[in-house]
Amino acid sequence: MSERDDLDLQIAEYVLGTLPADERNALSARRAGDPTLDARILEWEQRLSPLADAVEPVEPGPEVFAKIERALDRDDSNVVALRRQVSRWRWSTALTSVAALILVAVLTFQPQPEKAPESFVAVFQHNDQQPAFLLTVNLNDRQLSIRPVTAEQQPDKSYQLWIKADELGPNPRSVGVLGDQFQIDREALSQYDPSLLRGATFGISVEPPGGSPTGQPTSPAIHGFLYPTGDAPADTSD
Amino acid sequence: MQSNSSTSTADVSALVGRVARSDRAAFASLYQSTAPKLLGVVLRILNNRAWADEVIQDTYLKIWQKAEQFDAAKASPITWMVSIARNNAIDELRKHPAGRTTNDDELDQMAGRQPTAQDQVEDQQTVTRLNQCIDQLEKERQDMVRLAYLNGWSRDDLASQFGQPVNTVKTWLRRALQDIKGCLES
Repeated sequence: MSERDDLDLQIAEYVLGTLPADERNALSARRAGDPTLDARILEWEQRLSPLADAVEPVEPGPEVFAKIERALDRDDSNVVALRRQVSRWRWSTALTSVAALILVAVLTFQPQPEKAPESFVAVFQHNDQQPAFLLTVNLNDRQLSIRPVTAEQQPDKSYQLWIKADELGPNPRSVGVLGDQFQIDREALSQYDPSLLRGATFGISVEPPGGSPTGQPTSPAIHGFLYPTGDAPADTSD
Repeated sequence: MQSNSSTSTADVSALVGRVARSDRAAFASLYQSTAPKLLGVVLRILNNRAWADEVIQDTYLKIWQKAEQFDAAKASPITWMVSIARNNAIDELRKHPAGRTTNDDELDQMAGRQPTAQDQVEDQQTVTRLNQCIDQLEKERQDMVRLAYLNGWSRDDLASQFGQPVNTVKTWLRRALQDIKGCLES
């Protein structure tokens, strides 16, 4: 049996449910970052799902949906929204990959009247590799700041910050190239509406010195990790 | 579920599309029209109402989160949702290895399988076609496939029920799946 057949039957058993736990978990984990595998799983799901036709529906109790709604309310949908922004970036950025790319997604809030501005920050890393940044945006004055978490300058490379939003079309747009100390013009987002910024995704790519020669990031985003933060943007020391 | 049996695949697809845009009203409609099916699937696997309710909650939270990734070109919406529910249920079941008692009722359920007046999972032609393909397998393999898919039986469960070594079960299952695929493509 060929290796491809073997994988196909492993996928089939995954869908059937009989794959041993370790293989099952490994395949699940791979699926997230492997669109080809995901497509083959979907094919097997489609093949076998008519079996579920034999199952009688069972009416859930009213408390089940109430719990789901409470969970969504509690979640504030921010994490959800963030995931969506990331997937939008991922699926619509069809670019070839050479250098490691770091995607930084930021979700900003309008401040509560009685509170300082809050930011929710997420850092996305390629294959768990360093480096990583935190990016915060204050929607009131559209000031941004960026700070390295584990990022280090790379010789003969520049980091470049990008913004992506539906209103800006399908491609990311450059916000600016980071300086030697990771600094960036704090006003670089001032041309954008706060409502656009609130829904936007931000990315950072590793580029040749001075920034991408093509006007587009030269590598796509793949994986992400959340770094929630309650910090006010910019100058808080911690 | 008579009231919802008229929900078509296109309707469900449209609802998922609206859920992808964070439409809570569409999410409630989607839940109403699909949760009984998903709970039926999950409860059959888990045999435990409390676990099943939790799995359903988790399933719909995932549906809410992943709706944007749903691609109608690659899967029917109900297949996509049933798959999320089944995956959750099987993961939950495997956490309670002692919690699943396999019994003859489930085998009887297999034997008593009949075409149902079910609504939304697949069109009836697809259901008939798959069942025809499965019915071409040897009887034991038919039961194994159905017990695994519908009741969440593991290789070990099947091995002890059918009095075969686990490796034989693995071989039979894979052969059965290969035959089903070949039959569907023929």
